[in-house]
Amino acid sequence: MEATTSPQAVQSGWAAFWKATRRALTGYTARTLLQGLLTIWAVMTFTFVLIRQMPSNPVQIEAERIVREELVSYEEAYSRAASLFDFDPNQPIIEQYVEYLAKLIRLDFGQSITSAGTPVLDQILQYLPWTVFSVGLGLLISFTIGIFVGMAMAYWRGGILDNVVTALASILFGIPNYIIALLIILILGVQLKLFSVAEALGRVDPTIEPGFTPEYIGSVLSHAILPVVTYVSATVGGWILTMKSSTIATLGEEYVTVAQARGLSQWRVLTAYVGRNAMLPLVTRLAISIGFVVGGSVIIEDIYRYRGLGKFLTTAIVARDYTSMQGVFLVIAVSVVVANMLADVLYGALDPRVRVGKEQ
Amino acid sequence: MDLQSLASPTGLLIGALCGLVPLVIALRNRTPRPGILGFLACLLSGFACNVLGGLPMILLTVAVVVSYTYTDRDDPFLSRAALEEVDFEETFGAMVTRRLAGLGRTIRAASRALVRNKAGFLGFLGLVFFFVLNIFGPMVIPYDGQPHFYDRRREGAINLFQGPSAEFPLGLDWQGRDILSHIVHGGRALIITSVQAGVITTVIAVILGAVAALIGGLLDQILNAIANFILTIPQFPLLVVLAGLISFEDRFFLAVLLGLLDWPTLMRAVRAQVLSLRERDYVEAAYALDLGLPHIVMREVLPQMISYIVINMIFSIRGAMYAIVGLVFLGMVPFTEPDWGVMIFMGRSQGALFSAEAASMLLSPVIAVALFQLSLVLFTRSLEEVFNPRLRAGL
Repeated sequence: MEATTSPQAVQSGWAAFWKATRRALTGYTARTLLQGLLTIWAVMTFTFVLIRQMPSNPVQIEAERIVREELVSYEEAYSRAASLFDFDPNQPIIEQYVEYLAKLIRLDFGQSITSAGTPVLDQILQYLPWTVFSVGLGLLISFTIGIFVGMAMAYWRGGILDNVVTALASILFGIPNYIIALLIILILGVQLKLFSVAEALGRVDPTIEPGFTPEYIGSVLSHAILPVVTYVSATVGGWILTMKSSTIATLGEEYVTVAQARGLSQWRVLTAYVGRNAMLPLVTRLAISIGFVVGGSVIIEDIYRYRGLGKFLTTAIVARDYTSMQGVFLVIAVSVVVANMLADVLYGALDPRVRVGKEQ
Repeated sequence: MDLQSLASPTGLLIGALCGLVPLVIALRNRTPRPGILGFLACLLSGFACNVLGGLPMILLTVAVVVSYTYTDRDDPFLSRAALEEVDFEETFGAMVTRRLAGLGRTIRAASRALVRNKAGFLGFLGLVFFFVLNIFGPMVIPYDGQPHFYDRRREGAINLFQGPSAEFPLGLDWQGRDILSHIVHGGRALIITSVQAGVITTVIAVILGAVAALIGGLLDQILNAIANFILTIPQFPLLVVLAGLISFEDRFFLAVLLGLLDWPTLMRAVRAQVLSLRERDYVEAAYALDLGLPHIVMREVLPQMISYIVINMIFSIRGAMYAIVGLVFLGMVPFTEPDWGVMIFMGRSQGALFSAEAASMLLSPVIAVALFQLSLVLFTRSLEEVFNPRLRAGL
């Protein structure tokens, strides 16, 4: 087939191909994708260099541990630690980087340094669901509460509900989440003895066999209650206040007045005219927040001994497990970038006034 | 940055001397009430920060005092002078008085706006409380830093923790030290570092945002890319890594670092604001009238943004405190006692989490941090009113 086409046709074919490629690359979708990939790569490289600049390395940390525990000389401990890990601290950082990048292209996150032989991806997949479950559930609950309560407050503005909930929401919004966690344990657990602190910590009762049994699921849920309650109370105030002001702004719009003048039922105005439009800015924010679900909350997981990705990350940082740290940072960066894209797409889909592609 | 100056008896004297200035002026103008208030304000701020507090307060109180009796002879609406009596060549003294009176009127309007919002005023009172606690508290309650391992143990107790008692209102910590003294002395460094971080964040964000919007082009794109990049890195884990990398013996480094990580959100907002303000009619009118860049920036553009910027600064301060206490809580930065964060860390690692009588050691700093942050958040309500008099209704 190639032979029958004239050189002219081949050339114009190439030109058309290049033109199409250039158009595709300058198109909105491709540009966003490219930008996202670039950002992820930049974050990856930055963290790669950064975490290797931290004082000490995994072998030294392990050697120090051996010295502390077994009273051997540092040299002996060091050589033992070095033989434990498949990691050469003297390898130039550029070589490590190229090796890592080559593996990463095949979606191989490498092996964990401190638990040799375990792929990082497996470990991340083991911890990730717990974080996504607890933080995600908290996010969904607080978003839902925020939408309904905020809208009700805007509707009966100045009433008792409005005043009480505004005060409450400001207080919750003002207090950091780990402070809330500590207060829950101290006041509800220790002082009022509503639950046993020792039993509530952790992420699941280790004596129960994992599986789709009622006991196991019950244990998972009961251990997730404290973190979820913490996440909800730390974020719900923000959602409520935003939804309230957004609804107030929407109530003042002319199309709402017109809808009321047309004699539409209260319910229809509330759902189709006010609610949907007032929710717009919140939905994009929700999409952005989803990106930060994966990062979880390092401190909250530490307080509740809830072994999610945040706890995994702090453990990796303390042990200087470079590949594990790198993997977690990468996962977080990817989820943030994807969530931001999702927010853009959602905003365009929900609000026809916004033409995402047009804006430069 | 010397913000650490403490309350002292010399400061009281300086404050009293400074306070005489507004008092004398007020008595000459026959307006004793603002004069006495001005005297008290100077006395307190001189007491708190010596010359640093006394001298600025002279300016502010004199401005308020002057504004009560000042009428602008050149103002056709206020002056009763006939046109031929008015001398339009203003002397230097007259100009200073006019400016002072203007400042005084602004201060009075701002303080009225401050009181108008109840929640905001509550926040303001909270901040004043922490200010007083940190400045004057150490004069009353000395720091109890020595471990008292045995002499304070109650009979039969297995540890040194003690619940609140008449002698120690907040109880004793794990080393038998007075918790109240730790609360009084432990907040200053934390608050100063947080405020520094908030200010640095705001300065970086405003400058970069304005530059990106005004110069545009490649610089704009680069700044946006950097902002995107920083927003994508998980902040807190990154801080934990950096805490291992950089020594935070000097807390100012920590403030700078927090500032460097926190600016992108505000920078984007400032950039968007400047871009949209540049196109407004009144700004173009100011350009057309050739009013000069300082006038345009200070009088036309900044007033539109100042409320947003200041409120964001408050939130940055709050975020910085969150991060600092969090870092200390995880044991990732070197400890300097006394410090609220260290108290929380120690309380937790010494088992105060599980024993009711030791709870005070954890609860006290936890409540202190929570109250301070709450005051900050509530205070933004009042700030909204101070900077935007049109906003009367609402929350």
